Amino acid sequence: MDSLLYLLVYPQRPLLTTRTIELVGYDKLGAGQNATVAVMSYSGYDIEDAIVMNKSSLDRGFGRCIVMKKFSAVNQRYENNASDRIVRPLKVGHDAERMQILDDDGLAAPGEIIKPNDIYINKESPIITKGPLISPVGLPDSAYKPSRQTFKGPEGEASVVDRVALCSDKNSNLCIKFLIRHTRRPEVGDKFSSRHGQKGVCGTIIQQEDFPFSERGICPDLIMNPHGFPSRMTVGKMIELLGGKAGVSCGRFHYGSAFGEPSGHADKVETISKTLVKHGFSYSGKDFIYSGITGCPLQAYIFMGPIYYQKLKHMVLDKMHARGSGPRVMLTRQPTEGRARNGGLRVGEMERDCLIAYGASMLIFERLMVSSDPFEVQVCRVCGLLGYYNHKLKIGICSTCKNGDNISTMKLPYACKLLFQELQAMNVVPRLKLTEA
Amino acid sequence: MEGVSYQRFPKIKIREVKDDYAKFELRETDASMANALRRVMIAEVPTVAIDLVEIEVNSSVLNDEFIAHRLGLIPLTSERAMAMRFSRDCDACDGDGQCEFCSVEFHLRAKCMTDETLDVTSKDLISSDHTVVPVDFSDSSGYDSADKKGIIIVKLRRGQELRLRAIARKGIGKDHAKWSPAATVTFMYEPEIHINEDLMESLTLEEKTSWVESSPTKVFDIDASSQQVVVADAEAYTYDDEVLKKAEAMGKPGLVEIYAKEDSFIFTVESTGAIKASQLVLNAIDVLKQKLDAVRLSEDTVEADDQFGELGAHMRGG
Repeated sequence: MDSLLYLLVYPQRPLLTTRTIELVGYDKLGAGQNATVAVMSYSGYDIEDAIVMNKSSLDRGFGRCIVMKKFSAVNQRYENNASDRIVRPLKVGHDAERMQILDDDGLAAPGEIIKPNDIYINKESPIITKGPLISPVGLPDSAYKPSRQTFKGPEGEASVVDRVALCSDKNSNLCIKFLIRHTRRPEVGDKFSSRHGQKGVCGTIIQQEDFPFSERGICPDLIMNPHGFPSRMTVGKMIELLGGKAGVSCGRFHYGSAFGEPSGHADKVETISKTLVKHGFSYSGKDFIYSGITGCPLQAYIFMGPIYYQKLKHMVLDKMHARGSGPRVMLTRQPTEGRARNGGLRVGEMERDCLIAYGASMLIFERLMVSSDPFEVQVCRVCGLLGYYNHKLKIGICSTCKNGDNISTMKLPYACKLLFQELQAMNVVPRLKLTEA
Repeated sequence: MEGVSYQRFPKIKIREVKDDYAKFELRETDASMANALRRVMIAEVPTVAIDLVEIEVNSSVLNDEFIAHRLGLIPLTSERAMAMRFSRDCDACDGDGQCEFCSVEFHLRAKCMTDETLDVTSKDLISSDHTVVPVDFSDSSGYDSADKKGIIIVKLRRGQELRLRAIARKGIGKDHAKWSPAATVTFMYEPEIHINEDLMESLTLEEKTSWVESSPTKVFDIDASSQQVVVADAEAYTYDDEVLKKAEAMGKPGLVEIYAKEDSFIFTVESTGAIKASQLVLNAIDVLKQKLDAVRLSEDTVEADDQFGELGAHMRGG
């Protein structure tokens, strides 16, 4: 079973194909949708390759996708012949709520709606796993500790258990696989791409009535900023737009190679333009468009037509992350790193440089110590080394001078204290000279 | 400025009305009015659509959410929608949205027993209320109206089954496009075309034809007998400026002058079938009125008078 699977809900065949696409069979197994694209600026949420999307199109299923994720569990057999067991879920008690989706066999049932922190397998492991062989049956309940597996999915979203499969792994242990499905509609931050490598993130989602419209009633599905074209020189995308537009008008799939081929397997822009004119469009593919907000015509003609867009698997739901307080690394006592470990967001070297240049010293102090790894130390004013706090005598004592006469208490980052100790271990003496004590 | 009224009396002339299509002219008003009407038609005219699906059995190839989404997008006849209550402010059912005033229940039971694939369509949805049913698309003109045609929900193979209960509720297109009664609502400014006859006569017939043909839409024509260029269909003009450019390229700028009439609009309305296109327009006007009333009657207006003075008074009909 694949551990991760992305499916598009309503895939379409591209309106503009090439010979290669036909040979490969891409037109038989589409992976995108023909979106009506308007190449124009709209609202400012479309800078830097961002795209503006039409909410009604999203409501109707544009860019909707299904994400299937595999979760597996093994019924392990241990050295002493004891093995894990899967037990009937609790009907009462404080964990009962998290076990609602379990069947009597202790496994989540297909079709159940699963939320984060729900238990999908009610497994118990024996407490003693080593030592002399014991008979696997007849172990009392007290010999087991719960080792339930909880579902960790996107917070606040409901997923569905799609499939449950039982099999045996290579050590002939019982292996249970859960396929969990989540249907997503596009949201701000999801990534889309045309077939010309023009990838962009959804910048904003706008109501259909605010979207520009043409006299024919055509309203684009998405708006792309024209600044994507000059530097990228994706002429193919413009040809795709023209060919696609001609294709929808005359009902024939066009070929989109850049130059007309002698075999006649490609449509020249010239012939495409003729088709457009025949169906009442401008030869250039530009349309006269009204603003949906004011109802007044836009000042420029807008290059508008269908382009095949694919949804890419980079979705904000899988990436978004924030942290208030949370886990810390044991060694340095600083916040952990990375989304998977609920880590903090690093104020790096360059960010620090900016703050120094600006002179925001208190902010640097707060970010680099107070919110990171503050640590209280006892410093000896005589020898400049770190001492310790004696809880019995309630005084700080310098272990080098063997007294507590000249001790000052101060705060420094734990990582700093760690560095001092590591230096000392290397026979380097770091001494602190305190200006005010 | 006391007593000066900016009130205008827009006029509507209906050109064509079919069940799901209407074309009319809106005159003596401005773009803001026309656009407000368009926006309300798309986003704020209420209809009924399936909003909650409880699936009992689903052994089809499509998953539950997929089917629920498809069910939601099926247009339901919603002549009654204007009189219905939103389930969120329904007193009869404490907002759970399952009472007769704010919801309609649907049932669907389908099982394929043969080797032929079974199409489950909108016709299989059994409504609890005969006024709210899936829109019937079978053509009354007789063109293959014999076999039942509906919107396909899912296809079943032998042994597969679909059984569900669905609740339809009133809503507006702003919340979700499934509640939008409009398939297409668009308007255009009416073009006003003046041909400079004197300059036109200086052209040869060949030049005239090439000029006429430069327009992608058939706006101009050449009168067969008099060989004069005439305006065949002004509204076919898409403001593409092609003819103007052509005239300039021919060295005859000013051959034709085209303006957009700022105060007259040609609307095209197509409905999804949920309500008739003509009713859609009327409902939109009602909704627009309600919205204006809400502004006028809100308690803030008196305070707003200090701020907006005449405008506030004007909106309250002064």
